[in-house]
Amino acid sequence: FEFRFQSSDPAGNPNFQLQQGWAESISDKTGGRIAIELLPVESIVAHNETQDAIVAGILDGHITDTSYFSGKDPAFGLVANPVGAWSSPDEMFAFMDNGGGKELMNELLEPYGLHFIGATTPGLEAFVSKVQLNGVDDLKGLKMRAPEGLVQQVFAAAGAAPVNLPGSEVFTALDKGVIDAADYTVFSTNHAQGMHGVAPFPVYPGFHSMPLVEISMSKAKWDALPADLQAALTESVAEFSRSQVAALAERDMKAIEEAKAGGEVTVIDWAPEERAKFRTIAKGEWEKVAGRSKNAQRVYDVLTGYLKENGLMQ
Amino acid sequence: MSDLEDAHAIEKEDPGAIAEAGMLGRWIDRGGIVFAIGIVLSMVILINEVLLRYLFNAPTIWAHETTIFLCGTAFIYGGLYCTARDKHIRVVLIYDVLPRRLRRLLDIVISLVCAGASAIFSWAAWTMVLRAAFRPDGSFRLERSGSAWDPVYPGAIKIFLLAVLAVMAVQFLLLAFNYARGRR
Amino acid sequence: MTDIFGSFQSLGIESGTLLMFVMLLGLLVSGIPLAFVTLLVALVFALGWFGPMVVPLITSRVYTFVSSFVFVSVPMFVLMAAILDRSGIARDLFDAMKLLGGRLRGGVAIQTIVVAVILAAMSGIIGGEVVLLGLVALPQMLRLGYDKKLAIGVVCAGGALGTMVPPSIVLIIYGLTANVSVGDLFTAAFIPGLMLASFYVAYVLIRAYLNPAIAPIPDEEPVSIGEKLRLLKGLFLPLLVVAGVLGSIYGGVASITEASAVGVAGVLVSTILRGEFSLGLLKGAALQTLQTVGMIVWIGIGASALVGVFNLMGGIKFVSALITGISDDPTIILLFMMLILFVLGMFLDWVGIALLTMPIFVPIITQLGYDPVWFGVLFCMNMQVSFLSPPFGPAAFYLKSVAPPDISLGTIFRSLLPFIAMQMLALAILIAAPWITGR
Ligand code: NA
Ligand code: NA
Repeated sequence: FEFRFQSSDPAGNPNFQLQQGWAESISDKTGGRIAIELLPVESIVAHNETQDAIVAGILDGHITDTSYFSGKDPAFGLVANPVGAWSSPDEMFAFMDNGGGKELMNELLEPYGLHFIGATTPGLEAFVSKVQLNGVDDLKGLKMRAPEGLVQQVFAAAGAAPVNLPGSEVFTALDKGVIDAADYTVFSTNHAQGMHGVAPFPVYPGFHSMPLVEISMSKAKWDALPADLQAALTESVAEFSRSQVAALAERDMKAIEEAKAGGEVTVIDWAPEERAKFRTIAKGEWEKVAGRSKNAQRVYDVLTGYLKENGLMQ
Repeated sequence: MSDLEDAHAIEKEDPGAIAEAGMLGRWIDRGGIVFAIGIVLSMVILINEVLLRYLFNAPTIWAHETTIFLCGTAFIYGGLYCTARDKHIRVVLIYDVLPRRLRRLLDIVISLVCAGASAIFSWAAWTMVLRAAFRPDGSFRLERSGSAWDPVYPGAIKIFLLAVLAVMAVQFLLLAFNYARGRR
Repeated sequence: MTDIFGSFQSLGIESGTLLMFVMLLGLLVSGIPLAFVTLLVALVFALGWFGPMVVPLITSRVYTFVSSFVFVSVPMFVLMAAILDRSGIARDLFDAMKLLGGRLRGGVAIQTIVVAVILAAMSGIIGGEVVLLGLVALPQMLRLGYDKKLAIGVVCAGGALGTMVPPSIVLIIYGLTANVSVGDLFTAAFIPGLMLASFYVAYVLIRAYLNPAIAPIPDEEPVSIGEKLRLLKGLFLPLLVVAGVLGSIYGGVASITEASAVGVAGVLVSTILRGEFSLGLLKGAALQTLQTVGMIVWIGIGASALVGVFNLMGGIKFVSALITGISDDPTIILLFMMLILFVLGMFLDWVGIALLTMPIFVPIITQLGYDPVWFGVLFCMNMQVSFLSPPFGPAAFYLKSVAPPDISLGTIFRSLLPFIAMQMLALAILIAAPWITGR
């Protein structure tokens, strides 16, 4: 079986390189019975068009941040980045594996003709800032970039002034002071792209975002696979997600040491009380999103049910 | 100092749609003003955004998405507008040395080829619209941007692209027909 | 009929790629509107290599292309140009600059290059700048009796500087793809950008002093002080607009795209102050903008679609195998990449080239131990060449869209040859002496 997957990461990004390692491992694992060609973002279609391309038979699968499809259904936005729900990748993986997350994802994706194989994540993102931010109060009036969706809404609720800039303008906007802060990506990547050169007060670990990256493929093609290959794929995604998180965390640590050694970057860590405050604001916004569609309400119910059951939320 | 002969004219003479584009071409030409206003409006919105953000620290959540929408529709319509006015750039190295009759033949063939391509693209855009305008269960819902503001711009642009491609196919057919009739 | 679908696959990717180039070239010279040349090739290969189900890939890419924020600055720059063209601002500006240029041979051409560099610092994309200079500077140089080819070359090559001098969307896209600092890229590209501009200036000077006829010195009779002051007033409003745009970018007031709108507003206010504003003027300018952006954007749309189809055909694998198979010598691999970029530049828009080559080149460059920031500047310089090189030279097309009808595309391309040579010289220097980029 030969499959063509598109990633939502560009070719030079460490995420992409790790994902390529996964694609190669599939072939080893299945004795060459499955070969996956992984293509970088935009090589076939844009990042937010892969779902349609898979249904149309142009692509076979994708590795992508699920929130890119919030425009199709707000439920995707809520499940992909329930701001404040998870304090670590392991919490999210536990929900996916044993808390009904996997079933929920397939409930959402199958009508669109996709099968959800498994979840991964680049980990907790770091917040990029030109000014010292020590807590929620410092967000008041902060001009910041946030991508579409729940994240933007939560920051607005926290009193910040979110600006909807595309990723390509984030660097110059920060550099020139058009904005003072940005929700961008993980610490090591921010660092490699020079963000800390213009915004030296990163908040790490971030308090705001940990995206769900789904690995999924055409349902028809999935169903045509023999059961042992389905099992091998599922297993490989689970292994990959753990190793990706570990590899990126290691990169983050290295980048942090480098940044601290440079002497010009001050890495700020928020106190638990401040993180809790932000989480409370976020939960208020979940409900609003839940009201936007039947599926979003379903995500809300499953998610809050799980969090309460496991003592992660009162 | 000031030579009168090339004193700039405030209002330039507007050639409009070419004769071969027919009635449809004239409508397309007239419709251009809507999207031209959209471009000016984009400028006003961006300025407004800069002022609100810089002076009042109160950026809007709609400015950038709206300018993208206005400019996006202008880009799409601009292609149709150029078709009706025959303003798309053409490399005429060979075309120019051909005798008149062959040129007309070439015009007919080119228009037919472009009409065919536009028709196929319209069909492709239709499949795209089906996914952008309906939920998997078949109920109507325009694709939204997914932002905090969440406008229906993506769905609207896809439908608009379909409409423009379809009209473009008809316009090219009409052009081929009129070139064949030799109408001037 | 259905036999055709998918039948191209039997060609193999090598012959398929070759056929693609032949078809591009054939359609280009056939007189088909350029916007449809790449779209048609994309369509033929979507159908021939795969089948109808892949055609929506093309419309999907068209949708993505037109709804990208990056291109919002294009209509702004074109609108600015159209308003300047309809008001007396541009003409007064050049009359005033004539005074400052004084007795220098080729003075107005050099000032055009200076204006181009200033415009380049205001914007990150070409298209708008070429149109602006084509509407504003070209008629002035022709009016003053400058050699047509020299004037055309200065306008196209100068306008293309928009992506070489920071801010630059080419460098931003490169930075995002290669995961390197955009700030480092901007710093590294600054000197090479100025170096290229200075080549243009030197070229104008040499040509003008060797053959005074191609750049006549304006009016011999002395101008009175009063007249001089009156003329210098023409500098005031344009300088204010430039200060407004640059100030809003570098002062942190506006993003690059927003700053282009500030420029339009500044020019509009200037026409009001000069008593030239009318609704008719604005309407005419806006309609011209619609036409020009329709033309510019549709030229770019097809390249993006074609790259999507080519990548689906296995283009990425094919090109990387081609590069890594050529030699073990890093220098040869590097030069081969430059050659690929040059050839692609003859047929595709830069967006298409970037989408196709960056994901392939960047990992190889890093493996070879080259500095990816320096390579980013090389890439950017290559795109300078691609803007001018025939048969697909966007800067030439943009100029054609606004130039007097008697200036043919053939004339424009012939005028650009010396400038392409200078760009390639600059590229060679950057390869031989990477320290120019400060890396
Ligand atoms: Na620039
Ligand atoms: Na070219």
